[in-house]
Amino acid sequence: MAPEWTQLLPVAVVLSSLVPGLLIFTLREHQVGLRTALNLGGVLLKLLLVGLMLWGVSQGLSFRFALPFIPGGELVLQGDALSLQFVALSSILWAATTLYAIGYLEGAPLRSRFFGYFSLCVSATVGLALAGNLVTFLLFYELLTLATFPLVVHRGTPEALRAGRMYLAYTLGGGALVLMGAALLHLLAGSPDFTPGGYLAPLVDDNRAGLTLAFALLIAGLGVKAALIPLHSWLPKAMVAPAPVSALLHAVAVVKAGAFGIVRVVYDVFGVEPVALLQLNEPLLWLAAATIIYGSLKALQQREIKKRLAFSTVSQVSYITLGVALLGPIGAIGALVHLVHQGLMKITLFFCAGNFAETLHVHRIREMDGIGRRMPLTMAAFTVGALGMMGVPPIAGFISKWYLGLGALETEYYWVLGVLVASGLLNAAYFLPMVYRGWFAPPPEHWPEDTGLGGGRGGIRETHWMLLWPTLFTAALALLAGILASTGISPLAWAELIVAREFES
Amino acid sequence: MTLALMSLLLPLASALVLLVLRARSPVLMILATLGSLIAAAGALYQVVDGGEQLLALGGWEPPLGIRFRLTPLSGLLLVFTALIHLLVAFYAAASRHSQTRHTDYWPLSGLLHASLVALWLSNDLFNWYVTLELLGLVAVALVTLAGPKAYRAAMRYLILSLVASLFYLLGVALLYGRYGVLDVALLASLTEADATTHTALLLMTLGLMLKAALWPLHLWLPPAHAGAPTAVSALLSALVVKGPLFILWLIWSEIAPPALARDMGFIMALAGVAALLSGGWSAMRTPYIKTLVAYSTVAQLGYALMALGLLLYWELPELHVALWLFVLSHGLAKVSMFLAAGEMQATLGSKRISALTGATQTMPVAMFAFAVAGGSLIGLPPSGGFLAKWLLLQPLFAEPANWFWAFAVLLGTLASAVYVFRVVALAFDRAKPTRPDFDPHVLAQWLALIPALLVWGMALVSQPLILWLTGVTH
Amino acid sequence: MTQSLLFLVVGVCLWVIGLYGLLRVRHVIRRLIAVNIMGGGAFTVMVAIAVRTDPVDPVFQALVVTGLVVAVSATAFALRLASAEAHCTRRRESRP
Repeated sequence: MAPEWTQLLPVAVVLSSLVPGLLIFTLREHQVGLRTALNLGGVLLKLLLVGLMLWGVSQGLSFRFALPFIPGGELVLQGDALSLQFVALSSILWAATTLYAIGYLEGAPLRSRFFGYFSLCVSATVGLALAGNLVTFLLFYELLTLATFPLVVHRGTPEALRAGRMYLAYTLGGGALVLMGAALLHLLAGSPDFTPGGYLAPLVDDNRAGLTLAFALLIAGLGVKAALIPLHSWLPKAMVAPAPVSALLHAVAVVKAGAFGIVRVVYDVFGVEPVALLQLNEPLLWLAAATIIYGSLKALQQREIKKRLAFSTVSQVSYITLGVALLGPIGAIGALVHLVHQGLMKITLFFCAGNFAETLHVHRIREMDGIGRRMPLTMAAFTVGALGMMGVPPIAGFISKWYLGLGALETEYYWVLGVLVASGLLNAAYFLPMVYRGWFAPPPEHWPEDTGLGGGRGGIRETHWMLLWPTLFTAALALLAGILASTGISPLAWAELIVAREFES
Repeated sequence: MTLALMSLLLPLASALVLLVLRARSPVLMILATLGSLIAAAGALYQVVDGGEQLLALGGWEPPLGIRFRLTPLSGLLLVFTALIHLLVAFYAAASRHSQTRHTDYWPLSGLLHASLVALWLSNDLFNWYVTLELLGLVAVALVTLAGPKAYRAAMRYLILSLVASLFYLLGVALLYGRYGVLDVALLASLTEADATTHTALLLMTLGLMLKAALWPLHLWLPPAHAGAPTAVSALLSALVVKGPLFILWLIWSEIAPPALARDMGFIMALAGVAALLSGGWSAMRTPYIKTLVAYSTVAQLGYALMALGLLLYWELPELHVALWLFVLSHGLAKVSMFLAAGEMQATLGSKRISALTGATQTMPVAMFAFAVAGGSLIGLPPSGGFLAKWLLLQPLFAEPANWFWAFAVLLGTLASAVYVFRVVALAFDRAKPTRPDFDPHVLAQWLALIPALLVWGMALVSQPLILWLTGVTH
Repeated sequence: MTQSLLFLVVGVCLWVIGLYGLLRVRHVIRRLIAVNIMGGGAFTVMVAIAVRTDPVDPVFQALVVTGLVVAVSATAFALRLASAEAHCTRRRESRP
């Protein structure tokens, strides 16, 4: 019997970046045209396939592909509402980042290797999103580590290597913990498909110790990538990677993989009730809250743009964990919608930081004085991202914070509101000075080094078009996601759909 | 059964022909290995289809004659041995740096292949003594191919190997004196828990552990394996240490009285943990690339020993599968790792790990092979190493009292990640890459990569393989 | 029977002496001799066990003969290796 196209589509989504990636490895350095064609072809194909899948899910089709792997645990790729949200996010942002990276790395050495691993990295992320059970998730989680490492050390400098070693030490350690947790759960319950409401509820009474240990192992392992304290130190160090890598790492691939894993584990493996019964959500809540505050405080101390953005990620990603740990439906909506919103805003910010660095060699916050006159469009995008992070309406970030706050009220964790307010103030304290300097401070006589990319004048030619357009595109998305939040096509509507399914059981 | 015998005789005959003709041609040996592989595959097919087969050599029945027994597992090991020999032979013939082209490697590797096949097919204690002795002698001869600087390590290896055989032989003598049979199946029905049996089993175990380089009797392995020519290192690590392990597994799971097996299992499992940690630690510290790979063998054998010990200790048949998957996946991964390491060492002109700086640019394929094989050693999904580790972990989580063992596996995993990635991370250093002394040889690098791809390819057949192994090992 | 026991004890003693020697001495030739003493001990034990039955167990005799062949070949190989090693060491030392 030939497999149905609905079975093959999830595989095709993964392969649409994997195959171009492997082909790119074989290319020589100077085959720029072919490489670009492969890159963009893969991007477009993936967008097309994801669009098809979204349409299919809205028509009530189910997409599931399974291969036998180990007894009791198949390799399953499936498109449910939650995975599609993440897949759509990664594909769209991958498209933007690919274009950006082509412009960013123009003329740099070892581009075939870079784009090869870049595509592998996205394939692993998409596979992780589509993973239908814990074993498959584990597989892609580890592959993601392997695919990102060469990107982190891409520059090959001693500093990059140090960061790369640290990245590996943390993420492989985390991967080993996830492996342990997954093996423990596999022994107790096998590895059935992710189920809304979890599949461990019948086991809670007899296996409290085992389930608690498994939860601790999984959260610790996933917390490494999600940069929960005290496992976050690799993230700021990994900033030595090229800007598109940082952007992808922070907005989609690595950090989000951890956060997405936590969502999966809490909702689709354990289920809300068992987590509450085992009293596991409060420690998680405290951890997330501490990370939010700590990340913001550290961000305040940074002098470099990318470093500040990195610590801001530490803080912002924990909003997702926070929302999950609230264990209420409204908090869940906040968490899921923030998964998308944070991605859109953070990638914009990193693109902007990359544009400043590439065009004017501006790396430090001090050097941003008056940059809005030289690069108004980039600075505008930066402002959208920064205000969004602070939670200013109508940008996307406001929606997530609003729902997180309501979620905290719903489940009666009033102190969480305090955390949200404090974090919002801290966000303002570290983002507003940057915005102020950019627009209102007098520009210096000379920029550190004006490379004259694009045309050298403010406006549409302020930098290379491949750097500028993706930035504007993601900024526009971040804005639209907030403005159109109440319509049916927004991330919010989709998150509400997911949560309705999770909590109906 | 004739097919299994063909699988033994083809490499043996070709080795003898090469010796007599004083020819050192790779072609004949590669053809013989290929033939042996096909015959082994046929034998495996027969035994899976038609069940176990017995063959009395020359029509002489036991106890005086030699009787071979082909079980599904030994059939699988025949295929595995021939496959590894074939992969290594291609490399040994192709690589400019293998120190093996047109040397005695060719007849000796044929002899090694034949002794291993004889070991897998044998089923009585004395035959194993002979095959072990053959294996040891051929292995030492292969190590000496590296030239005078390897003589010292080879000598040490030889003496230890002889002593180990004598431990084993004394044990065999005691057992035979006590029960009057050598056949494993017969012995299994006779053994009682008395002092003679215990002493005999302990002597044999010491000998076998020494031969298999199981902790704490592993100290001879790193110099011998690291000093040998690259192709030989690969064979030694992938196959030769597995022979004594096979015997150890059979005598403890078949012959030994259950109470003693339980106690011994506990000790073995502890020794396995110690091997994991001490081997991993040494691999993290050593400045030499091939020594690192050799110590990783010590550590990885710790998993196998742990699986063996725990299956005896808890009487868990599932762990048989974990044990044999470790053997298969470690064999393939280690071949790849040694070939890649040796090729890089020879091309870059230094034995030191620091010479691998920037190797992702100068020798990308070899470095990739090293990393991919290393991924299987770490146990990254979906490689063969992951499957084995997963099966080993399952029973360890069954009760909180067993979590200690799971913790040991975790530590072992982390240690392996450190020693693999200390090399890989260095290879990404673009600042001061080591200039190769020779043009990197692309074909040899790809040949090093193939076994690593195979071990990851095990994922494609993992479920049938696991189910089948579960059926045949118990 | 007592004769058998005597040789059994002698064999075990030889084996242990050989092992002791092996652990104590460093020189290659001495170690080889120690290994051979161990081997002699093992074979003596085997013969001693073999003569306990009447008629003498032929299997054990076959085993001992095989074992002797193996031991002789192994020793020959070891001696060749030892001399090669000594040769190399001498050459290395004579070089300035």
